Amino acid sequence: MFKKNWIHYFIPQEKNNHRATLLKPFFLLFFLVLYLLSQSIIKSLTIANPGILGYSSEITAQKVLDQTNNERIKLGLEPLTYNSVLSESAKEKAEDMFVNNYWAHNSPQGKTPWTFFNTVGYKYSTAGENLAKDFYDTDSLVKAWMNSPTHKENIINNKYKEIGIAVVNGTLGDIKTTLVVQHFGTPLIATAQEIISQKSDDIAVPATVDVLAESDEKLISPLTLSKIFSSIIFIALMVVLFIDGFTTIKNNIHRLTGSTVGHISFLFFIFLIMLFNQQGSIF
Amino acid sequence: MIIPKEIKQKPVEYIILLLIFIFGFFLYIFINNSQAKILILSGVVLSYLVWSLYHHQKRGDLHTSIIIEYLLIILFGLVFLLFDPFAIF
Repeated sequence: MFKKNWIHYFIPQEKNNHRATLLKPFFLLFFLVLYLLSQSIIKSLTIANPGILGYSSEITAQKVLDQTNNERIKLGLEPLTYNSVLSESAKEKAEDMFVNNYWAHNSPQGKTPWTFFNTVGYKYSTAGENLAKDFYDTDSLVKAWMNSPTHKENIINNKYKEIGIAVVNGTLGDIKTTLVVQHFGTPLIATAQEIISQKSDDIAVPATVDVLAESDEKLISPLTLSKIFSSIIFIALMVVLFIDGFTTIKNNIHRLTGSTVGHISFLFFIFLIMLFNQQGSIF
Repeated sequence: MIIPKEIKQKPVEYIILLLIFIFGFFLYIFINNSQAKILILSGVVLSYLVWSLYHHQKRGDLHTSIIIEYLLIILFGLVFLLFDPFAIF
């Protein structure tokens, strides 16, 4: 009895005019509204009450350093040496972006990346900066930088000898996020500086710093939650389409509907695009 | 391997559809410009709509309900891309 009540939602039969009820326009619209609603709720919660949702980035400065150096080693370049002074300037840059609520190399107050190098007293002959936000993992982050010619140029620039990295959590534009700042440099006179230069495998990388976070409690990233909702609704639709298509073929039904094969192909195309879209933003 | 009857009847139409998606996908991932990516997506979506109109016109069952179904599926896909946290928009 119960089986008969819900089966028409998934299986084409006479009762639903040989089309799974969930694929009828009304339910497609319902799926659409449900999706938009879930996204709006997540966004509203993030903005209205930043304490409810948070960030769960797996990125650490150590991982960024390792992968940056891996990219250099792959190209036969010398790995960069970790410099805690450069990390301090990177951290100050990230904090400045959170405090003054901007996302750019130059601040609205006119501070350039070089301002932060100078503030911490790093004298350089050449220097550079890479920025990123909203990434979940280091792999995707470094991949995104390597796919961008200007960021890649910094990572594989043979003129740079040292690097500092900051991974800082805070609130930017009312949304909690993780900022990653890389500061590259070559000291003007290396020996004159009091820097702690160590090999990448035994350094003490600074821990992630919360700038505006109220607690150290690990919260769920709104991006992750949004992704979970997307996946559930998307997979549900695809499953219903597959069941509908399979039953139609099996029972050799001819009906007045759109092409199930066409719909599956189109949604699969969208799925691939989503899969290949890069996470977060780089600057 | 089960091949749907509709593909067996009109194989060329489905090959064209497949080529639209494959070509669109590779163009999308190999071009770095965001505006170009949006143009490519628009092109694929429009092609899918034109394909569906032609496909059902030929089958003799081009009805408003079918057009609405295609529009909703397209809207569905686009909304997913638009709100996807990894999306380009």
